[in-house]
Amino acid sequence: MSTTPGPSRLPVQSGERIDRESPVRFRFNNRTFTGYRGDTIASALAANGVKVFTRSFKYHRPRGILTAGWLDPNLMVQVGNEPNVRAGHRELAEGLDVHSQDVWPSLKFDVKAVNTAIGRFLAPGFYYKTFIKPQPLWPAYEGVLKRFVHSGSIDTTTPHIEHDKTYAHPDVVVAGGGPAGMASACAAARSGARVLLVEDEHELGGHWLWSGPARREALTTLRDETLSMPNIEVLTNSVVIARYDDNWLGVIVRAEHGHERLVKVRAKSLVAAPGLVERPYVFEGNDLPGVMLMTGARRLINRYAVKPGARAVVFTANSHGDAGVEDLRRAGVEIVAIVDARRGDRVVRALGRGELQQVEISTGQVIDADLLVTAVGWTAPTSLLNMAGDRPTYSSTAARFFPTTLPDDVLATGGIAGDGDDGQMLEHASSTGREAARRAHNVLVRLASCAPTLPDDTEPLVVDDSPIEIQDLPRDRHIELFRSSTHGFVDYSEDVSSKDLFTAVREGYDSAELAKRYTTATMGPLQGKLETINAVAVIAEANATTIAETGTTVWRPPYAPTTLGALAGRALDPVRYSPMQDWHEEHGARPLVAGAWIRPESYGDPVTEVRAVREAVGIIDVTPIGKLDLQGRDVPALLERMYVNKWQKLGIGRVRYGAMCADDGVVMDDGVTGRLDENHYLMSTTSGGAAAIWEWAEELLQTGHPEWDVVCTPVTTSYASINCAGPRSRELLQRLTDVDLRPDEFGYMNVRTGSVAGVPDVVLWRIGFTGELSFELHVPAAYGLHVWEELLSVGADLGIRAVGIEAQRVLRLEKGHLIIGQDTDGLTQAFSAGLGWAVKLDKQDFSGAPELRWQKEAGPASVLVSVQPVDPAVVPPEASQIIGPRSEILGRVTSSRHSPTLGRSVCLAQLRFEHAAPGSRIRVLQPDGSVIEATVCAELAHFDPEGERARA
Amino acid sequence: MKSRDRLGNGRPSTKISGYSAAALVRQGLRKESDWPRVWRSHDMAGSYDVVIIGGGIHGLATAYYLASRHGITNVAVLDKGYLGSGGSGRNTAIARSNYLTPEGVAFYDRSLKLYENLSAELNFNIMFSQRGHMTLAHNDSSLRTMRWRAEVNKLQGIDSEVIGPEEIKKLAPPIDVSSDTRYPILGALHHPPGGIIRHDAVVWGYARGADLHGVELHQQTEVLGIETSAGQVKTVKTTRGDIATNVVVNCTAGWSSLINDMVGVRAPITTSPLQAAVTEPVKPFLDAVVVSGSLHVYVSQTARGELVFGASVDPFAQYSMRGSLDFIEGLAGNVLALMPGLSKMRLLRQWGGLCDMTPDYSPIMGTTDVDGFLVDIGWGTYGFKAGPVSGEQMAALVATGRTPALIEPFGIDRFLAGRLVGEKGAASVGH
Amino acid sequence: MMQLACPWCGYRNVSEFGYLGELLERPDPATTTPEEWRSYLYLRSNPAGRLEEGWYHRAGCRRYFEAVRDTTDNTVSETRRPAGRGGSTGGDEHAMPGEINPEGVTV
Repeated sequence: MSTTPGPSRLPVQSGERIDRESPVRFRFNNRTFTGYRGDTIASALAANGVKVFTRSFKYHRPRGILTAGWLDPNLMVQVGNEPNVRAGHRELAEGLDVHSQDVWPSLKFDVKAVNTAIGRFLAPGFYYKTFIKPQPLWPAYEGVLKRFVHSGSIDTTTPHIEHDKTYAHPDVVVAGGGPAGMASACAAARSGARVLLVEDEHELGGHWLWSGPARREALTTLRDETLSMPNIEVLTNSVVIARYDDNWLGVIVRAEHGHERLVKVRAKSLVAAPGLVERPYVFEGNDLPGVMLMTGARRLINRYAVKPGARAVVFTANSHGDAGVEDLRRAGVEIVAIVDARRGDRVVRALGRGELQQVEISTGQVIDADLLVTAVGWTAPTSLLNMAGDRPTYSSTAARFFPTTLPDDVLATGGIAGDGDDGQMLEHASSTGREAARRAHNVLVRLASCAPTLPDDTEPLVVDDSPIEIQDLPRDRHIELFRSSTHGFVDYSEDVSSKDLFTAVREGYDSAELAKRYTTATMGPLQGKLETINAVAVIAEANATTIAETGTTVWRPPYAPTTLGALAGRALDPVRYSPMQDWHEEHGARPLVAGAWIRPESYGDPVTEVRAVREAVGIIDVTPIGKLDLQGRDVPALLERMYVNKWQKLGIGRVRYGAMCADDGVVMDDGVTGRLDENHYLMSTTSGGAAAIWEWAEELLQTGHPEWDVVCTPVTTSYASINCAGPRSRELLQRLTDVDLRPDEFGYMNVRTGSVAGVPDVVLWRIGFTGELSFELHVPAAYGLHVWEELLSVGADLGIRAVGIEAQRVLRLEKGHLIIGQDTDGLTQAFSAGLGWAVKLDKQDFSGAPELRWQKEAGPASVLVSVQPVDPAVVPPEASQIIGPRSEILGRVTSSRHSPTLGRSVCLAQLRFEHAAPGSRIRVLQPDGSVIEATVCAELAHFDPEGERARA
Repeated sequence: MKSRDRLGNGRPSTKISGYSAAALVRQGLRKESDWPRVWRSHDMAGSYDVVIIGGGIHGLATAYYLASRHGITNVAVLDKGYLGSGGSGRNTAIARSNYLTPEGVAFYDRSLKLYENLSAELNFNIMFSQRGHMTLAHNDSSLRTMRWRAEVNKLQGIDSEVIGPEEIKKLAPPIDVSSDTRYPILGALHHPPGGIIRHDAVVWGYARGADLHGVELHQQTEVLGIETSAGQVKTVKTTRGDIATNVVVNCTAGWSSLINDMVGVRAPITTSPLQAAVTEPVKPFLDAVVVSGSLHVYVSQTARGELVFGASVDPFAQYSMRGSLDFIEGLAGNVLALMPGLSKMRLLRQWGGLCDMTPDYSPIMGTTDVDGFLVDIGWGTYGFKAGPVSGEQMAALVATGRTPALIEPFGIDRFLAGRLVGEKGAASVGH
Repeated sequence: MMQLACPWCGYRNVSEFGYLGELLERPDPATTTPEEWRSYLYLRSNPAGRLEEGWYHRAGCRRYFEAVRDTTDNTVSETRRPAGRGGSTGGDEHAMPGEINPEGVTV
C-alpha cells in the first residue's frame, strides 16, 4: 500500500487532524487514491491534486472546492448506494467507492455541458415560457428533463436498517461546539445545569481549530474543561436539525456509512451558538474550480495539510482574510496579489477554461493565478432562531442579520450575536450559559408546580428571579460586499446567477419569495445557508431598495438534510393477537389484518366452515370484540344516553342488542349489552370501535354527568372470546360447563356466568350473529387457548370445526345482519341502516335523538335492503352500483357473497327508498360493464327470517 | 348583480400570447432581456365592481374568468402577502378527479379538463404531468371503497379502475407489495389522468392572464374589515385604504373564517395545518403519484428528482404553520413502510399550509345571507386541484347572479338543512 | 411539540392527548330546532386567537379537561378540570373507531 503523500499534501502542520500513520485507500470515479485517517473525502482528493469534483445542476459546469465543509455546494458525491454525500464533511473510510454525480460520459468531458453554451436561452422561467404548444410536447420534454436531473441515485433495494431513536431531557442544549458554545456549556454546567452540547463537525472547536496557534492553545484548555465536566454530554458530528414548540428539538447523530440516529430532546433552554458562515462573493466566474472561500483554504491548510493552489490572488475585507494570507504563505502558496476591499478594490471576474487561470481586478489588472481566495464577510445561520419564531433584523453596518426577539427559552451567543474580541465573546458566552441555566431552572419550577406527585421530602423549588446580565457584544463594521460589477452565481447548487435574479425582478417576481420561487434560488440542497444573503442582496439591488426592506425568506426545518431512515427509526406500530393465535397459525389460518388485530380469515375452506356452523357446530375466535365492564347504580342511565334503544327495564341475566348513533344521527357502533348483576353490566362493541366507545363513555361520565355512579373498565383483552355456534353447540358446551344450558333455563338473549372446561368466571352469552343457536364465551384470557382446545377435543364426534372470519361474514350476510362501516357509511343515519326498529324516540335524551326524529318525520332517502340476483350464480362485487334507466345511481351493493346454505348469491344494498319496495327489480352494473337484474327481498334475512334457529 | 352580465360578452376579450420558443430565442440574443412584467402594480382605486380577497389560485382564477369570459374587468384581487403565498404555494400540486360522489366527480373532472388546456389558454406552461395516480388499499374495507369510487367514476366517464399488486409493482417498482408486511397492499385505485402540476406556474399564469385582461392585483394588502348596509356589502377596508364595492368574494382558504367573521357569516370550518415535505433530488425512479390512506402518506417525484410528500392534517386546530417533528417522523416511517429502499434519501425541507376543513370534506361555494358576499371556501386539503373550476364557476355566479349547477351541491345552507355531501361517506368504520 | 399541562398529571407532550375541539353547549334535544341543533353539530367559531377547547389525556390518566389556547402560536394560558357542559357531538371530532378515510389524505 502506498503511503506517499499526494502531490498537494503539505508537511506536518501543527493542529492538523489527519493521522499520517493511517493511510486509507478509496476509489473516486473508478481510480484508486490514498488519503489519511482524519481526511474528508474532499481533502484527500485535494491532496491528490484533484480540482474538479462535480458538474453543476443546470449548465453542467465543472466545480471544485468552495468551503471544504458540509455546506460546500460543489462537493455532493455518490458513495456506494448513498446519494448526495457531502465530500467536504464525510470522513474517509477504507474502500469507499466515490463517484461524481451526474456526469456523462465522464467528469472531464460531460456532453451535457452544452447547456452552458445555450445557457443564455435557459434563463429563469424558461420552462414556463415554452413547450406551451402543441400541448403534447411537454410530456416528451419532461422525459428528457428527467434524464438531466443532477444528483445521485438511490438504490431501491437498499435495506432499511432500523436505528432506534432515543430521548434526552437536559436542562440546557447548546447548539454549536465552537468556543462560544463550549464556554456557554461550561458556564451552564458550573451553575448546576445538565447540558447537552451538539457540534456539527467531527470535533469541538469551531473556527478556533484553524485560526492560529494562540487560539489552538486556548481551545485545548477550553475543550479539556468541557470534556471534564460530568454534567456536559458532548455529541460531535451531530446537529440540531430543528426547534419546535416548547423547545422540542430534533438532534441527528451521524455514524459510519451515512447512518444517522435521531435523538428527541426536550430542552428547558436552548443556546444557539452556530457561529458564522463565510459568504461567497458574486462575480463572473465565481464558480470556477480554483475560486475558494478563505474558510475553505484555511481548513485545507490547517486541518488537512493540503496546499490549495500554487499562485493565489486573495480578496479580503476582514482580519480573517488577512490571517488567511499568512496561512497561504506558510503553505508555500505564492501570493501574487492581495485585493483589499477596505481600500475600495474589488475582484471583477475570474477567467479560465475548466479551471481558474486569471483574475481581473477593479484596477484593470489581469493577473495569472490558479487560486482566488475570497474573504468578503459572513452570514448568520439563523435557522434555529427562525424556527423559534424570530424574524432576524438586518444590520447594514455589520452586513448581516442579527436576532430580533427571542422567546424566553432560547438564547444566542457567539458570532450570531455579535463580534468583539475573543475575550468579549467568551464573556458573552459564559453569561449566556449562566442565564440559560437560570431560565432552565425556572422552567423546572414551572413544570414541578403542576406535577401532583412531588415527593414530600424534597426541598421546595424556588424561582430564581435574578437574571444574569449579558453585555451586548459589539458589532464590527463590515462592508456590504455582495456583488461585483459583473454577474456571477448566487446559488451554486441550483445554478442561479445574479443576472437571473435581476431578470426575475424585472419581470415582476420582485419580492424575495417570488424571486426565489421563480428562479429556484436557495431551494437546493443547501436551502440557502450559503446563498440567501447574496440572493436577498441582489434582489434588493435589482429593486433599488435595501436588504432590510427586502427581508429574508423563512428558514424551514430541518437545518441539515436528514435521512428518512433516521426519522423513521424502528416501526413501533402495535399488533394485537388473541391468546389462540399460535393455534390458528399452526392450523393453517390465513391472516387477516383488521386494524391493530391479526385475525384468522379462514383455515383454508370457508365454505366447509359455513356448513359446519349451519349443520353441526363451529367455534370462532371473536376476541377482538370490544368489552366494557360497567358497574354502578346509574349504568342504565348511561346506556340510555349512548344507545338509541331503551335500557331501564333490562332484567338481571338478560341481554339486549343496541345501536349507537353520533349526535348527527349517523350510526356509529352496535353490539349487545348484558346485565350480570343488580349494578353490573357488560357491554360489547365492534372490535374497531372498542377504544372510541370507551372514550365516549368516559367523556359522558366525566364531563356530562359526573353525578352518575358508574365505573367503566375496558376488559376487551381480559377475556378471550369464543363464539360457539351451530345446532349442536348446546350439546357440545353442556359437556364442559356447570351452567344449565337447557332452553327453559338459559333462553335466547340471556347471559350467565359459570365455569367452562374447569375455568371459573366465564361469561356465557346466548346470542347469535350467525343466526344459529350459539353461545359466546368470554373466558379469562390466560385460559382462552385451553378452552378453545377443550371445545375442539370434546366436540370431535359432533363434527366441530374452527371457523374463520370469512365464514362468519357469509353467515351473518345470510342472516342479513349489517356490519357498520360496510353496510353503512359516514352519513348513514339509523333509519337508513335498517335500525329504525331500535330507535325509541319516546325516551329521554340520547345521542342523535333530534336528527333521528327528523329523519323519521321526513322518511329516509335511502334504506338498507337485502337483494338477490335473478341469476343465482352471479355474485355482484361489493360496491357495485345500482343504476336507473339513464344510468343514474340509485344505490350500491354493500355486501355480497355466494351463500353455501342457499346455493345462491345474496347481497345487502343501500337503495333509494322509492326503489326499495319488496319485489322490486333493480339493475346492478358489473365491473365489465354488463348489467344484471336483481330482486329486492321482503326481509333483511335471506335465511331463517323468523329466527327460529337462534331461538332453538 | 344580474346587470353585470351586460358588461361582458361571454367570450375571451384578448388572446394571451408572448411566450414561445421563438420569443425565448429572441430574448436570449439580447444583451439584457426585456420581457414585459408578468403583472403590473397599481395604486388602490376607490372602488371596484368586484373585490376578491385572496391572491391564490382560486382568487386569481375567479378574477381571470370574470375578465376573460364575462368581460368584468374592474376587479381587484387583494392578498395580505405575495401572490400564491398561502395554500397555492404550499400544496403538493396533485390533480385528479376520481372522487366518490357524483357531484364531486363531475366538479373535479371539469377542473381536470380545464387544467389540461390551461397552458395553452394562459400561454404559460403549468407543466401538467399526467403520470397516473394510485390510491393504495391495505385492507378489504378500503379496497371496497376503491371499487366504489371506480364504479362511480366509470359511470361518469372517468378513467379509473382497481388494479392488483402486480400492476402496482409495474407502475411503481419501489413499492413493497409482498404480503408479509404490516399493512399488505391488496390493490389500488388507478387513475391514469391524474398527475402533478407546477403549482406556482398556475398562480403566475392566472395572475398574468388576469392582469392582461385588466384586473388589478394588489399584493401586501390586508383586509381589515368589511362594511355592510342593509345586509348588502358596501366597503372593504384595507391596509391601503377603503374600497367601495357591491361584491366581495372570499377566497382565503385557511383564513376564511376570519373574513367571514367580518360580515357575520358563520360556517362549519376549522383551520388546521397540513404539512408537507420534500427530499433532496435523486435520479427519477418513481413515475406515478402514490397515495396510501391507511398509511396517511402520499408521494410523487418531481421532474427535478425531489420526492414530495404529504400526509393528513395535524391533529388539532391551529393557525400556526411551524410544523412538527412528529410529522416528519411519522411520514418517514410510512414512506419506508411503502418503499423500504429509500432509507438513505434525505429530507430537505418541511413546511405547512393552512386548511379550512369542513365536516363533509367538500367545499362551501356560493352566495350567503349577506348580499354581495360570496364564498369559495372550505377547501380543506383539495383546493389546488379545484382551482380552475372554482374560478370558472364563481366567475359565472358573480356575472350571472345564478348559482351554476356544478356548484349547487356545495352551498353554505346545506349544513343547517342536513344535506351534507358524502365525500366523507367513503370513511369506513370498524372491523 | 408543545406541552400541555394536564390538571391531574402536569406537563406532558401534546402527542399524549386527544383533541375534542371547541367547547360546546349541547342544546336540549327535546326542544331543539334543526337550526340550533345543526349549528351545534357543525358551526365552529374557529378563531385566530383565544380558543376554549376540550382535551383528553389518552396516553396518561385518561381524564377529560379544558384548555384555553391561542391558536396562532399554541400558547396555553390555562388548563382546568371539566365544567360539566356535556357538549359532545359523539364522534364528530373524535377519532372514529378505526377510521379509514381515503379522503382524509385527499391530495
